[in-house]
Amino acid sequence: MNEAVVMDAVRKSVTVDCDVEDAFRIYTADTMSWWPVKTHSIHETVSEIVFEPRVGGEVYELSTSGEKGHWATVLQWDPPHRLVLAWNIRERDPVATEVEVRFLPDGDGTRVEVEHRGWERLEERAAEKRGDYDSGWDEVLASYVERV
Amino acid sequence: MITNVTPLDALGDPTRRQVFELLRGGPQSVGELARVLPVSRPAVSQHLRVLEDAGLVTHRREGTRHLYEIDAAGVEALRHWVDGFWNEALARFKAAADTRGEKR
Repeated sequence: MNEAVVMDAVRKSVTVDCDVEDAFRIYTADTMSWWPVKTHSIHETVSEIVFEPRVGGEVYELSTSGEKGHWATVLQWDPPHRLVLAWNIRERDPVATEVEVRFLPDGDGTRVEVEHRGWERLEERAAEKRGDYDSGWDEVLASYVERV
Repeated sequence: MITNVTPLDALGDPTRRQVFELLRGGPQSVGELARVLPVSRPAVSQHLRVLEDAGLVTHRREGTRHLYEIDAAGVEALRHWVDGFWNEALARFKAAADTRGEKR
């Protein structure tokens, strides 16, 4: 049997030219100004992205015809410094990955760090009903990596 | 059939992303998936085939049922895909924050 792949969290950061309060506001309350909705949304056309600003709140999109599409549940809400989301598109998924976003003062600007974690939980879920695994996966992944 | 479908291609389609997300909740049949998706059963089958070709999904028989489920190795591919997604999203976030935000 192949050894389990260790799946580290995806960690990204970017430094932006505004203060922590504005960075947090643009991230959570002006999300439509930057989220790539054309390629990353449930509905074809999206008119609004909503972060309900509290623990237990919902993050969702509204389509142009008013339909709601669930994205995540707020696990931690600590404005303007930090938020943690359970990323479970459409609510049917009991095994969410987690997204933590931190906003840190950095000179005149703000350093925004994103950590997307919990991949191992998905793997466990997938492995429950699965025996030994072997396939030409490495090849597929290699061709994928070449393209990125 | 082996094709050169990559996870990136497979998940580039919104309906296929939905299928993948639904399967994250556990194994399901074509019929079960079609009930909650706005597309026909043949369309669901077609999407599953693409996901399977990309290594994201696998299927097995349970009695007379064909159950589709996430391929664990596919999860690693998804992680790579998400990695690329955040690069794009944060670049866009920076562009928005740099022009719309106030400095300290």
